[in-house]
Amino acid sequence: MTIPQDRLRNFSIIAHIDHGKTTLSDRLLELTHTIDPRQMTSQVLDSMDLEKEHGITIKARAVRLEYTASDGLVYGLNLIDTPGHVDFSYEVSRSLQACEGAILVIDATQGIEAQTLANVHLALKQNLTIIPVLNKIDLPSAQIDVVIDELENVLAIPREEVLLASAKDGTGVAEILEAIVQRVPPPKGDPEAPLQGLIFDSHYDPYKGVIIHIRLAQGTLHQHDIIRLMGSGAEAELVELGFFRPQLVPVPELHAGDVGYVATGLKSVRDAQVGDTVTTVAHPAEHPLPGYQPAKSLVFAGIYPIVGSDYPLLRDAMEKLHLNDASLSFEPESSVALGFGFRCGFLGLLHMEIVEERLEREFGQELIASAPSVQYKVVLMHGQGTVDVDNPSRMPDAGVIEEIQEPWVKLGIVTPSSYIGTLMELAKNRRGTFLEMEYLDPKRVLLNFELPLAEVIVDFYDQLKTRTQGYASMDFEEIGYRPANLVKVDVLVAGDPVDALSVIVHRERAQAIGRELVHRLRGLIPRQMFDVAVQAAIGSNVIARETVVAMRKNVLAKCYGGDITRKRKLLEKQKEGKQRMKRVGSVEIPQEAFLAVLRMDEA
Amino acid sequence: MSTPLPPVALYLHLPFCVAHCPYCDFVVYAGGEARGPRARTERLYEAVGRELEMRADALDERFGRPDSGGPRRPDKGGPTDEHGPTDERGPRRPDKGGPTDERGRTDERGPRRPLDSVYFGGGTPSLVPGEWLERLMETAQRRYGLARDAEVTLEANPGPDERGDLAGFAAAGVNRVSFGAQSMNGGELRRLGRRHSPEDVATAVAEARAAGLGSVNLDLLYDVPGQTIAGWEATLRAALELRPDHLSLYALTLDDPDAEGLTGETGDHLPTSSGARRWREAARREQDDDRAAEQYRLASDLLAGSGWRGYEISNWARPGHESRHNLTYWERRPYEAVGPGSHAFDGAVRRWNGAALQPYIAALLPAAGPGVVPPGDREVISPETAAAERSILALRLDRGVPAAWADEPSAAGAFAWGRSSGLLEAVELDGEARLRLTLRGRLLSNELFERLL
Repeated sequence: MTIPQDRLRNFSIIAHIDHGKTTLSDRLLELTHTIDPRQMTSQVLDSMDLEKEHGITIKARAVRLEYTASDGLVYGLNLIDTPGHVDFSYEVSRSLQACEGAILVIDATQGIEAQTLANVHLALKQNLTIIPVLNKIDLPSAQIDVVIDELENVLAIPREEVLLASAKDGTGVAEILEAIVQRVPPPKGDPEAPLQGLIFDSHYDPYKGVIIHIRLAQGTLHQHDIIRLMGSGAEAELVELGFFRPQLVPVPELHAGDVGYVATGLKSVRDAQVGDTVTTVAHPAEHPLPGYQPAKSLVFAGIYPIVGSDYPLLRDAMEKLHLNDASLSFEPESSVALGFGFRCGFLGLLHMEIVEERLEREFGQELIASAPSVQYKVVLMHGQGTVDVDNPSRMPDAGVIEEIQEPWVKLGIVTPSSYIGTLMELAKNRRGTFLEMEYLDPKRVLLNFELPLAEVIVDFYDQLKTRTQGYASMDFEEIGYRPANLVKVDVLVAGDPVDALSVIVHRERAQAIGRELVHRLRGLIPRQMFDVAVQAAIGSNVIARETVVAMRKNVLAKCYGGDITRKRKLLEKQKEGKQRMKRVGSVEIPQEAFLAVLRMDEA
Repeated sequence: MSTPLPPVALYLHLPFCVAHCPYCDFVVYAGGEARGPRARTERLYEAVGRELEMRADALDERFGRPDSGGPRRPDKGGPTDEHGPTDERGPRRPDKGGPTDERGRTDERGPRRPLDSVYFGGGTPSLVPGEWLERLMETAQRRYGLARDAEVTLEANPGPDERGDLAGFAAAGVNRVSFGAQSMNGGELRRLGRRHSPEDVATAVAEARAAGLGSVNLDLLYDVPGQTIAGWEATLRAALELRPDHLSLYALTLDDPDAEGLTGETGDHLPTSSGARRWREAARREQDDDRAAEQYRLASDLLAGSGWRGYEISNWARPGHESRHNLTYWERRPYEAVGPGSHAFDGAVRRWNGAALQPYIAALLPAAGPGVVPPGDREVISPETAAAERSILALRLDRGVPAAWADEPSAAGAFAWGRSSGLLEAVELDGEARLRLTLRGRLLSNELFERLL
């Protein structure tokens, strides 16, 4: 139904992971009868299998709720769901740009966490109205007053604005809906003006082509309008337009302030970039909307098909995935060890894992990924300029390098105060500098550090969780590049360098890491028909060496009448296993060996 | 596809054991199935007899009735047949390993010839009551024919309550016995869950000789948890002192039939019990390929020095005592098989019975009606796979393959690799150029075999 612009409300829910954002979304859907209670499954908006398994939201998602408020009028509430993990704050900021308000969900048993702080800052930057909601008040361990104090002290949120709720049992959810209507301003934008619509997401539908998720800033969109994407220049006649409820429900028109979708029939992934502006050919806007900052990749890794001939399929899959995940960047690269693949940029390590899993599950790709790296700035001698290096094997020769700089981050950790000591130690081991500490309440503190990003991306988060029994949370932001004493460690197998295994590490740790790397590799390279030397080297200087001694036995002891089929199948399997391995010179190396670098703990 | 051929050998699987050894994944039923009031041994023996008839019916239909092998069964009551106690000849190989036509053995085509060998495997077939063995032998003789010098092997355990009435078996026509000795070290035997002692092995061999069994094999295991190289040598020397005619030396192999997908409804294996699974996991951690390779080399040297012929990767014989039945498998000749989990091969198709006991008996001995063949499955072997199998199986033997096989385009790469890697050597045998595995080649044979597939 058409709802006038002054009765539209566009809002997001922001929360630290596990604070109940998705459950609250489910309740809002129920209470506004958007979803028949009989069809209600939990986590309605997390439709990807991966999201349900990990219990996290990866992709933002939109849904339109129609709500009859206490004033008797029907309001159109557009909820844009957001991810909660640190890696996906880029998605959050994109979603927030399509909103005027945000519900800030805080777990009453946990209080403010690192992500809470980060998300509030994002929302304030966009001038959004924040509706603070204390969730899980039904739990006996809820500390309502303590957390309200925290909000007041740390985020300057007046205590009288805080709503109390339990998304699980529905307490307080109606009040949240009323607060959205009363506190969040309606969208502005002249429905008669030339059309400007921001693409905040998109997905591909095999029948309808590219489906654009759009928020109209001004103007009106009708069926059969011919639209133009102002960035790419692509034009298309609308096949369909409508709202997310949460399935696609067609309507004849979308107006300024509406959040909805348009099906374009466009087939090319590249024509509908997220952040582009949609206008009409008949009545075009003069300027596009500001759009988005392109996502900044922090972690880089090579992704290769296990079977070289699958490369075109992988390229296809990457392009399709990219349409759905604008924060993934990729470009072709080739590796001596791994063949043809892609150098990919990710928001973080979880993002990298998610991309790998999605490529494997949704696109049936079998992949091998090289060790993740950050992007270094390498200053060359004699004023030859600076090059960006995100692939250790592309590091220029040590002889021409004046200086290597690495990215640093400011890391915020929220933790119970009893873990301060162990976290200080962790940060120190990772070359971190302690900045300051702030008490959130008598038992919890916010610690701020500066650390090299490279030290954060690999397993810092796991370490943090392990050392604090899961109680601490973290968030970080980049603070620029600093010079560092770094070297490239190469790995050689039977004398041949394995480019995919090169790592850039701090010089003081090179020896230890080289030894560890070689030791692990030795255990992972299957014994061959001959002795194989595994070495780590800085330039031509070997810093560690071990030997994979030749295989001495690989024989089927018994082979009688009942064994012939069985043993043949075992041989076929063994052969298949080898075919999946990569050949370096004359040595067959399994995928696990390459992943060993990923699993390196602190040396 | 190859033309189907009538069998030259017959395998009967008798699955009962007194106890189930944790490393064994043959189709075995122990405990209540094998002993006591609810044992199903009688029903199983009857079902095997029934299957023997049904398979014979099918063969008669396909290939006609067999030539009679002539009366062979000795008079009841004494070991006075041609394989008497003083007969040291043992079963004779047909032509002392003379050249066989490895490409097809046209002599099997024509009319059905009597069986060249019969093999009772298990399980512990020595637990079978004498009268049942006689009945099964009688059926085999009547329906399949038995060559005058046919090799008839029975597997036995050496323990006093397991080895059965060896004289009775000899009287029923058995002329070769294969004892699951496994080790001549008491500690190792206990670790392996065996119920016999090294002394039992000696007694069993003596009894077999006294019963007139002309050919005696001992199975021995290496790469056993806790076993040293010296301990293995001691087992070998102790076994040799018993003057067996044949030795099968196996690296202890701890496979996982469940993981291989062999334990389904019509699978030829039984699921592994949780106890056996735990035992195998622990034992696997104590296995060592380097030690095993050393043990294999030691055995090869020791036996070659004593005049034994290592005629197959895991099998050694005093000349003339090579197992003709097992050679049928390696020469890829056709064989019939009955009993739960057994495999048969007609040159074109491999077929097997499911391992499950109850469905096996129920199919063959229904409450009413004539019965049907038991549940199972089959595999049609493609010509490419057949060629690979032929090479792989023949290379297990010390005679190897004719050198000309290496010229086949599909196999040339693998053979060339085998030669350059030192796994194959060129030899001349009986005036024919052949390729065979070196000692290193035997130990690393899978590396070559998978390249042939």
